[in-house]
Amino acid sequence: MSLVDTILPFITELPPFPAVILRVLQLVEDPNSSAQDIVEVIQYDQAITANVLMVCNSAYFGLRQPVTSLRDALVKIGFNRLIEIVLARGSSYIFYQACHGYRLGVGELWRHSVACALLSQILSARLKKEKNPTQFTAALVHDVGKIILSEFVRDHLEEIKNLVQENHHSFIEAEREVLGIDHAELGGKIAERWRFPPNIISGIRYHHTPLSAPTFQELVSIVYLCDLVALMTGFGGGVDGLSYPGYKEVMKQYGLVEKDLEQIVNQLESELKQVDLILNIR
Amino acid sequence: MADMKLTRDGKAVLTTYTLGACIGVVLYDPREKVGGILHFMLPESRMDPQKARLNPWIFADTGLPLFFEEAFRLGGEKKRIWIKVVGGAEVMGDSAYFSIGKRNYLALRKILWFHNFPLLSEAVGGNVNRAVRLEVSTGKLWVRTPWGEDREL
Repeated sequence: MSLVDTILPFITELPPFPAVILRVLQLVEDPNSSAQDIVEVIQYDQAITANVLMVCNSAYFGLRQPVTSLRDALVKIGFNRLIEIVLARGSSYIFYQACHGYRLGVGELWRHSVACALLSQILSARLKKEKNPTQFTAALVHDVGKIILSEFVRDHLEEIKNLVQENHHSFIEAEREVLGIDHAELGGKIAERWRFPPNIISGIRYHHTPLSAPTFQELVSIVYLCDLVALMTGFGGGVDGLSYPGYKEVMKQYGLVEKDLEQIVNQLESELKQVDLILNIR
Repeated sequence: MADMKLTRDGKAVLTTYTLGACIGVVLYDPREKVGGILHFMLPESRMDPQKARLNPWIFADTGLPLFFEEAFRLGGEKKRIWIKVVGGAEVMGDSAYFSIGKRNYLALRKILWFHNFPLLSEAVGGNVNRAVRLEVSTGKLWVRTPWGEDREL
């Protein structure tokens, strides 16, 4: 039995992704659905609703009148913010855990995920694209494969370390060579099992190999670039560090230069309070 | 992150978050036991002068001069102060497009040269994440990488 055959069954041990979030993701892609439709779906989940209202009433938003319902929240903080809070609430319990194999302590993968998700909105705006919850989610969950692969990385860390440090393999190549599968491909399989929409599955699967993505290139490229920028900025950097390839082709394709990445880092720094706000959604 | 801490408190131990391509500049006056760390993220304030006024620590060219001034104010003296530098890591591959780490480092060197500060030692570049810890009572500085044990720099 190969190592991959040992790894894959662990996919079934992950908790399911919240059904209400998957429904929200379907609706945001559906041109016939309105913000009200989406709010209606969310409010059936009382735990999420209660949590979202608590966040809306936090000091961050500084609202004079307390928000008492999701409809009220929609008016006061706007659709995009509301959806981001809901998506974060639906994902945090999976991403908050430590990934010891990657030397990521409790909360560190979540911190990386949140930074990446906010960067995706900053970069989308820079590329003159609308903010979009699907892009936000793809960036938020792109590293889900690490949650399962972590234990296997830990068991084979010396071999992976040799390939990265001595042979200058990228971390993703080293994972593939030593374990037979890397965290991006494994993440894609998890997302399939969770019945994520195909664009988010691609965003996860190709987030280190954007040039190989057969479809949804733009979404994939944004996740890819935001992941690199989050790593460069030190958000949740583990043992893999910055051992991932930077492709100039992706930058050229979107007319981006190095200074654009610096601007994105600068904007993220301005939104660190928002990072903290989302980090505390659990 | 995009912040600075300087102290004469002998009990203090200063640390940074993981640095990535950002740079941790460590300054220490061994006689006065003034120690501090500046964690800057970007090389030049030119991209956002308004931001530089709100938070000068984010940029090398606005953060470093203020960092030095603050050290002098706490009793540090230029002729005794040593500087050590950590961070500035890079992703693999097409470095011209992903060179924040290198640009941060070059900006720093230029400013140190301009202010005539020697650089005592450094742990910079590569693809590895680093964080630092400074013990203010002794001036001992450790660099932590996720691969292994802390290393004194």
